[in-house]
Amino acid sequence: MMQGNIWISTNLLGFAQSMTLVLRFQTRPSFGRAIFAHGSSSEPNSNSQFKGLKVILADDDDLNRTVTKKLLEKLGCHVTAVSSGFECLSALSAAENSFQIVLLDLHMPEMDGFEVALRIRKLRSQNWPLIIALTASAEEHVLERCLQIGISGVIRKPVLLQGMADELRRVL
Amino acid sequence: MERNQMRRQLALMRQSFFDQGFLDEQFIQLEELQDDANPNFVEEVVTLYYRDSSRLILNIDQALERNPLDFNKLDNYMHQFKGSSTSIGAKKVKAECTQFREYCKAGNSEGCMRTFQQLKKEYAILKRKLEAYFQQARQAGPLETACRSRN
Repeated sequence: MMQGNIWISTNLLGFAQSMTLVLRFQTRPSFGRAIFAHGSSSEPNSNSQFKGLKVILADDDDLNRTVTKKLLEKLGCHVTAVSSGFECLSALSAAENSFQIVLLDLHMPEMDGFEVALRIRKLRSQNWPLIIALTASAEEHVLERCLQIGISGVIRKPVLLQGMADELRRVL
Repeated sequence: MERNQMRRQLALMRQSFFDQGFLDEQFIQLEELQDDANPNFVEEVVTLYYRDSSRLILNIDQALERNPLDFNKLDNYMHQFKGSSTSIGAKKVKAECTQFREYCKAGNSEGCMRTFQQLKKEYAILKRKLEAYFQQARQAGPLETACRSRN
């Protein structure tokens, strides 16, 4: 099993959610940075530690998938985006693919994130990718369940650049 | 310079979206993702939003015609709608989504229908505003730096 720590990355405003878990805020002047970063090719947010990180993203919603993928690429990740649990498992099973991180939307229609996570754990015993769940839910039982299944981290939707970076850094 | 004038107008327009509560921080997140590699990312995402959600609206409209209402189904649709609306920072639309879901939970048909009409209104208003915004952005030229003052 994993270390057993579930953290949540909230957005910078910390939209008041009743959580009993530890929240991590980073008060960086990211907005100020954004104005200058507009249209410029050098992106202050891209972290070298994420460069080339192979991520598989599973989210059934086109829009969310597009945005999250772009966000990850901004951080330097190499992203494979799929729209279902089945596709995700297929991609992971393919021998030549070795993903380091699996980002799972918990609420996909045919096979939810929990189910996918369970199946990933059953796939192979070596080279387990780290699983991070994406959820709009703030409920504790969701988080507990993640913990039980061996999900390493949770990111609250809507996903923010900083939140993603923080959570990736934390699990790696 | 006319272009500077246009850019200033554009910045004001953009600021008004936030000030008047049409958009929230999530929109800024989209802007932060826009770069040289994807210079029209925000517009692309918004276009995607309107494309996907128009289908959802149709589904919800149809579902609202049934009698009795299937609140579970409606709630599922709205969960999706809320998710995408949140992703682009559509603040007022998102608020209506939340309200709608409350009425679903309460099994309040009247409330659902009323809220959905309101939602469609907000949705259309935002669409018009954003279309005008992107059109102006294109006219103003590639670099649409918005000098946003955060209060």
